[in-house]
Amino acid sequence: MNIKRFGFAGVFAAFALAFSTLVAPSASASTEIVVWADESRGPNLVKALAQKTDWVPGYTIKVVTFSGFDALKAALDLATDSSGPDIVVGANDWVPAFAKSGKLAPYVPTASVKARFNPTQFLDLTYKGKLYGVPVDVNNVAMIYNTKLVSSAPSTFGDMVSTYKSLKASKGLKAGLCIAGGGMSWGAHSVFSALGADAYQFNSRGGIVYGRTFSATVFGQNVRKYLMDGKKSNGFFPATDTGCKDNFLAGTVPYAVIGNWEWADYVAKGFTMNLMPVPGVASGTYGHMFGSVSGALLTSFAAKHGTEAGAKSLLTNFFASTDGQVRYQNLEKRPPAEKGAQTDSSVSAAQRGFGSAASLAGIPQIGAFLNNNKGGASYWDSAPAYWTAVLIDGKDAVKEASKLAAIWRVNVEAGKGDL
Amino acid sequence: MTYLIRGKLALLLKIIVVGLLSAVLLMLAQSAFAQHEYIISAFLALTMLALALTYLTKVSIPLKFFIPGILLLIAFVIGPILYTVTMSGFNYKTGNLVSKEEAIIQIKARAVEAAPSGISFDLKLGKYKGQEAILVSDIANLKYFVSTADSRIPVAANDVTLNEYGVAITAPDFIALTDAELAGADKSYSNVNFVYEGIYFISLEGFDAGIVSQQSLEYIADKDQFKNLINGSVYSDNGRGNYALPDDKTAILEPGWRAPIWFENYTKILTDPRVRGPLVRVFIWTVVFALLTVLTTFALGLLLALALNKPIHGRRIYRSILVLPYAMPSVMSILIWGGMFNTEFGAINTLFGTHIAWFSDPNFARVAVILVNLWLGFPYFYLISSGSLQAIPSELLEAAAIDGANPRQIFRKITLPLLLQILSPLLIASFAFNFNNFNLIYLLTGGGPRNELDGQIAGATDILISYTYKIAFGTGTQDLGLASAISLIIFVLVASISLYGLRKSKVLETFA
Repeated sequence: MNIKRFGFAGVFAAFALAFSTLVAPSASASTEIVVWADESRGPNLVKALAQKTDWVPGYTIKVVTFSGFDALKAALDLATDSSGPDIVVGANDWVPAFAKSGKLAPYVPTASVKARFNPTQFLDLTYKGKLYGVPVDVNNVAMIYNTKLVSSAPSTFGDMVSTYKSLKASKGLKAGLCIAGGGMSWGAHSVFSALGADAYQFNSRGGIVYGRTFSATVFGQNVRKYLMDGKKSNGFFPATDTGCKDNFLAGTVPYAVIGNWEWADYVAKGFTMNLMPVPGVASGTYGHMFGSVSGALLTSFAAKHGTEAGAKSLLTNFFASTDGQVRYQNLEKRPPAEKGAQTDSSVSAAQRGFGSAASLAGIPQIGAFLNNNKGGASYWDSAPAYWTAVLIDGKDAVKEASKLAAIWRVNVEAGKGDL
Repeated sequence: MTYLIRGKLALLLKIIVVGLLSAVLLMLAQSAFAQHEYIISAFLALTMLALALTYLTKVSIPLKFFIPGILLLIAFVIGPILYTVTMSGFNYKTGNLVSKEEAIIQIKARAVEAAPSGISFDLKLGKYKGQEAILVSDIANLKYFVSTADSRIPVAANDVTLNEYGVAITAPDFIALTDAELAGADKSYSNVNFVYEGIYFISLEGFDAGIVSQQSLEYIADKDQFKNLINGSVYSDNGRGNYALPDDKTAILEPGWRAPIWFENYTKILTDPRVRGPLVRVFIWTVVFALLTVLTTFALGLLLALALNKPIHGRRIYRSILVLPYAMPSVMSILIWGGMFNTEFGAINTLFGTHIAWFSDPNFARVAVILVNLWLGFPYFYLISSGSLQAIPSELLEAAAIDGANPRQIFRKITLPLLLQILSPLLIASFAFNFNNFNLIYLLTGGGPRNELDGQIAGATDILISYTYKIAFGTGTQDLGLASAISLIIFVLVASISLYGLRKSKVLETFA
């Protein structure tokens, strides 16, 4: 290389260095709290947070919106110290895995924050005795009855089946009860429970009973009695949720389990929010439905960014406050988790309806049990498999129920350590 | 035009382009270095030097053409393979994702626990005689004190000014931080344990509240152990990426870290009944699936190519239509086919008046998978077969016809052998691709049907790669180390089968 070339190389090096200095990424500003949310919650958080400027004095709050819950979860999976958020608004069942991997940091609520929530909602966001965020909104389902087909609320599961059989031919019914929201595992738990199969058992003091599960004989016989016609499904309860919402709206299904995130679609079509839990086989009993919460979760990145106290303040002042939840849920339209916000006059009748159905027959969605697969399959995989095995494949309802009971018992026992 | 290729202007342009590229690489190298990704940072820096040396000197003229390819090959082929090989020797899963240093930091942070009393206070951040301090209000007992990292100073009630909530905001020698100063003070104040009583201290839970806390674990650096300060138990490095109690291997501190476990992920494939049980069945179906796919798509593609090789009316239109399935994104096609195979509402059952549970019956599900892949794959073989047919000298076919061979004999003895010789590498490549055709299985059947109630993990249509995915990611726990080990085994299998096929077809000798 001659002198001329060295000169060129020198010019090049100086140019490269100068340019790289200009374009080098600057360290993220520590006066900014970054919140990640999905495509529904993100834009509403932006609007709610913009209504006041002093949620956390001295800080600006930036909300990053992702295209969906899965994309948000994937992004958090890949997040690094420099790219990760300070707070993520995510599902309660994310807590065990992300806490285990060190992506989430514990949050200790003060006594006044604790008093604003139902203790079981904190359980949803707890892993190994530590809380990782605050509950933001309640996710649950409730049953709605179609006033175009039936005039009053059913009092037992058998009432619904009788109604279905009497109207089936004349009204061209596609099903009697179907799951429009939450799928054949989460949404259908209320049907499992109404017929006698709860994913886990509670004692009279509200504690979990380990080593015990539902009676496969009772549940299996109820399935035979109410859902089967010999070895075949009687058509009352479809094994899949395909077409349920459309059929209900079209007036060919009298009862549907719907999610609290989609009630506006039903109201728009003229349905009243006559929400209730799925009735049990005996009058006055109800099938338990999962009432989970979405949480504003504190990440371990906040400490790296130097925004830990700011992020905790945002959790307390906005996400866990009546004022914050009212402003946010007026836009998001989900039932708020915070007690003060639940009773606020601005909360809609539908939001209240889901809330009262949940208080009548709601149980916490405990990821430690439901995600566990020590029994051979998780609750999420085994629950729909039962409906397929019995209602489609025509397998024996009691025998399959025994397998299901065994799986759930082992899963609950194995998940004990993660609570 | 020459001045753009040679001369001073060309040299200047070259310097600018290489300079810009190098600047971007340098920026990326800095960024990677800042994130402690030293290997990536070193590679980017070396890439920058290699580009400068290659294009600004006359070290090697051929290298000017090869260097982009070589660098991309290293970055996107060799690098990931080496990373996969490395990770297959690590305990790398949910709970063991971070480095050991990071794990220690996080365990220490989690060791700050709320005191059993559950007391929390309202407080104000500020400075006390120049030291970071908090002005604490015990509103219930109307008591106030200033706390720093090493002392607690009581303040008389008549010495403080209260706000509308009864929280003290001023005290003698205490200078409260302004709102504007809070953000800058976040990190330093968050790391301080403000003195309370005995073993208890106050930790910040935001700028307005503090929790009475205690340290439950202490890190003993020289012994690399954590000691539980409440019950005295000692957690040691268990050599597998966790601090654990010596007499109870399941009592571990979280998070853990990536730790080498050498060949354990490989032995797990043989010893873990969840993995080992269905492996042979899944492997056989994977081979059958890949073979059937190649055979059916090739047969249909070739048949159509032969049919349209003759000058028939509207040939261009037919050719365009046949390429359409190839032009559509496969994800869309697979999802549409999934809907068409729906038992209740699908077009297939409606059209044929059947009620086949396509995705519930193992055999029907397998047939559906093959049929959908036939739809997706035949245009490719139609295109390459059409091209290859044009490459066969027409003299050969004419000579055979003159010698009295009928069209079937001509196809069997001349066209097909010649085609196979040309297309063998592509057939083998197609086999290798379908061996790992994750998208089709995942989107169409999810690997099912499988009987979850009987504890089945692998479904009837699961191929090795979808089965690997299920094992590694299907349960909310990501076992990346195990996935890497199985991926490497699949890589070796595909490579072996492909090499065997290439050797058998003598393609390499032909090209040599």
